[in-house]
Amino acid sequence: MEQSQNDTGQNYQGQNNSGQNLGVAALITAIITFVLAVIPCVGLIAIIPGIIAIILASVGLSQAARINAPRGVLVAGLIIAIIASMISLSQVFVAIKIAQKADKWPEGIQNVINDVQDNVVKEIQDANVSIKVESDGNKVEINTNSDKKDREQKLEDLEGVKTQKIDTLPKKNDTLPKKK
Amino acid sequence: MTLYLRKSKSLNQLKTSLRNEPYLFINIFFAGVILLIIAYSGIFSPDKDNYPVVCIHQKLTGQPCFSCGLSHSFSLIVRGRISEAYQWNIYGMRVFLFFASQLILRIVFSLFYLKYPDTRKQLILVDCIGSGIIFLFAFWPFIASIFTGILNV
Repeated sequence: MEQSQNDTGQNYQGQNNSGQNLGVAALITAIITFVLAVIPCVGLIAIIPGIIAIILASVGLSQAARINAPRGVLVAGLIIAIIASMISLSQVFVAIKIAQKADKWPEGIQNVINDVQDNVVKEIQDANVSIKVESDGNKVEINTNSDKKDREQKLEDLEGVKTQKIDTLPKKNDTLPKKK
Repeated sequence: MTLYLRKSKSLNQLKTSLRNEPYLFINIFFAGVILLIIAYSGIFSPDKDNYPVVCIHQKLTGQPCFSCGLSHSFSLIVRGRISEAYQWNIYGMRVFLFFASQLILRIVFSLFYLKYPDTRKQLILVDCIGSGIIFLFAFWPFIASIFTGILNV
């Protein structure tokens, strides 16, 4: 009978030590997590040791509750671990939001480029254009502030034929002329 | 023989006190961690730029964060190149001072804990409050950046 009581006492002592060890482990992990969580570079991964600390503290608390052991260290570890995990989670949240915004930036830049391009084309089309044609001592000067279509019309009137676009680069389907 | 017995007795006492006093164990553990941080700063060179830890925030968002360059800054502080350390990270010095102060505090508080057993509770309380204040002072720019980030998003 005495032997059995001694065994039970040793068992409780062992469980008490185990709970205390878990508490120390949880507190150390929680403090390290807290320090990591407030550093933006590594704060995103601090959630992992944070969860480990919470698990350690929870297991330790359940053991301590079973044998009515002191729980100060365990509660401290649990509170610090929860706060650290929340800080880490907030960092993850902020990083995700920034990453989402970063994906939208190229679109914004493209829109600005398109706007600038449109403005430049419009400016060129509406600009005052002066064309001087000189042939055999005859000079023809066209001054116009009208738009592109009017300028093309005037050129056609002067030439008497319809203007054609002359592309310097051959089209995809065009074949180069064979050398004779 | 007597010296050996005395040594083994003191070692056993230390082991027992470590087992029974979690505060001492935690202090020794953190002192070890801080020494590892200092060793990390000493081993990896800012000139070779061979740091194994990379900024996850920058990898994810493409933008540098407040703590970018902290490893470089620590390495330069360990090597005595203080002005260069400020260029890498303006908050590097205060964070390094936090770790240095904690290393000293862990040793001092452990000695006080062993020397004055009657004032242990007060000692732990002073340690918690003091370390908390130093932590807030050292890491405040980072904490503020987190809050600013949450508010701006």
